[in-house]
Amino acid sequence: MAADADTALIARFEATRRAVLLRQRAGNALVLIGLSALLGVSFHLSDFFNGNHGGDPLTRIADLINLLVPTLKADVLMDGPRTAGSLASWYYDGPRWLALLWETVQIAIVSTVLGAIGGSLAALLASKNLSPVPALHWLTRRSLEIVRTLPDLIVALILVAAFGIGPLPGVIAIALGSSASLGKLFSEANENIDPRPLEAIKASGGGWWAQMRFGLLPQVLPTYASYALLRLEINVGAAAALGVVGAGGIGIELSRAITYTQFDTYLAILLMIVVLIFAIDMISERLRHRLIGLERPA
Amino acid sequence: MTPATTDLAEARRIAPHALQRSWPERLTRTLGLGLLAAGFVAMCINVGFTPAAFGNGLAKLGEFLAVMFPPTANGGEARILAALGATFAMAVAGTALAVVAAIPLGLIGAKTVVRQPLLHFLIRRSFDVLRGIPALVWALMLIVAFGLGPFGGVIALAFSDLPRLAKLYAEALENAEPGPQEGIRAAGGGPVAAIRFGLLPQVLPVMSSQSLYVLEANFRNAAILGIVGAGGIGFELEERIRIFAFDQVAWIVIAYVICVMLLDMVSERIRSRLISG
Repeated sequence: MAADADTALIARFEATRRAVLLRQRAGNALVLIGLSALLGVSFHLSDFFNGNHGGDPLTRIADLINLLVPTLKADVLMDGPRTAGSLASWYYDGPRWLALLWETVQIAIVSTVLGAIGGSLAALLASKNLSPVPALHWLTRRSLEIVRTLPDLIVALILVAAFGIGPLPGVIAIALGSSASLGKLFSEANENIDPRPLEAIKASGGGWWAQMRFGLLPQVLPTYASYALLRLEINVGAAAALGVVGAGGIGIELSRAITYTQFDTYLAILLMIVVLIFAIDMISERLRHRLIGLERPA
Repeated sequence: MTPATTDLAEARRIAPHALQRSWPERLTRTLGLGLLAAGFVAMCINVGFTPAAFGNGLAKLGEFLAVMFPPTANGGEARILAALGATFAMAVAGTALAVVAAIPLGLIGAKTVVRQPLLHFLIRRSFDVLRGIPALVWALMLIVAFGLGPFGGVIALAFSDLPRLAKLYAEALENAEPGPQEGIRAAGGGPVAAIRFGLLPQVLPVMSSQSLYVLEANFRNAAILGIVGAGGIGFELEERIRIFAFDQVAWIVIAYVICVMLLDMVSERIRSRLISG
């Protein structure tokens, strides 16, 4: 009798298990089919297999690399800019590029500072625990979200039409994007603070400003600064690209090099940008580690 | 009257530096802050961020904003939506390529796979260096190589995502617990079984959710690439900004923002399901 009950139980278990597995597999198959359909349509729309790319993509990339690499000659490497094949002829406009790189850095720094100021103001409104009016808190959050969805180059494109060609529209575009994303991060930092210092200041008669200055700021300043430095790293890259739409910095030389099909010049400038971004990352990393009170891991 | 004032005076007498910093310290602080502020102002002037220039541009921007309302597609709804679709397709294709290529790179970037410290450091640093190159800079040269159209854009997106994804994948692999794999090996499972049942269930959800993040970012990046000739919504936008048709620009931007928010919402739901199991 007991054995019968056991086999019945096992049979029921097996049946349930089969059903569950079947459902899981059907679900997986459905996801797979959907994913492959999405990929198929996407690759098709992107002219991936049907377009004319002037031959085999890999040979095209090999050709491109060939064009990018400058023809340097070892024996005249250190000669003047007039000698073809020397380093100086590759970097024939070096000082100008350096000046433009410096402009790129300045765009990044100014826009990060403005973004941090804008972000900290927005964060005061967007933090649940500090915002004086709840409706304002919701509204600020949503507007920050909307600004964050806009790529800064699109914003820069519109601003170039208004402010004219030059670094100013780039600064404003990046500052807008930075204040939106920093506003979100700062408000999250604000919401995680210890409320007691603020309460103590309030209890001893301090006003709203005193609470923010002496209660909030000392708690969040290291976090703010380290987020702002991270943003600076991103902004240097963004500022390097801005010149392509006429918004200042080294990008203008990149698009000029492409227009005149000077690919080796393109690579020369690209290498400078890479070195710049790397240097900024290193400095910012140092500063951030010091801010958090960490020693750099060896 | 108030005891506070006498208390404060007494406190100042006993511990002068507790309530107020010493003079040299205050001086250096003020000087340092003043120098920083002066440097910032100088940079502002260098990049043309002056009140006059700002005011002029703002007035013009106000005119643009006035033209933006009411937004209209001017009969181009279908074309704009198709362009949005093309941009999304570019983002998906670019992400897919990057994911496929990032898996082997992630493997060689993981400390648990490549154990030689110097080699590991060099590989990860090269990811960091390449990560800094914006997609637009890749696109600018790839579109010349492949001609105008989305193909170069897709490759550019894939190139700019590769180092980022490779780094994320490497970290996911490093953070995987070795326990399950060791258990499977101890129970007699081969290396394939150890990876399939010990490693993949740990890293796959994390890696998929990071890939979705990258897809979100790519949708924004793909919109930019139209400016340099990869087509899609960026091209439509640039065309209309050039002829100052800001009512149509507004329509496109609104449609685009809605699409981005939809994608973010869907992707966030998938991600939270992936992570919670």
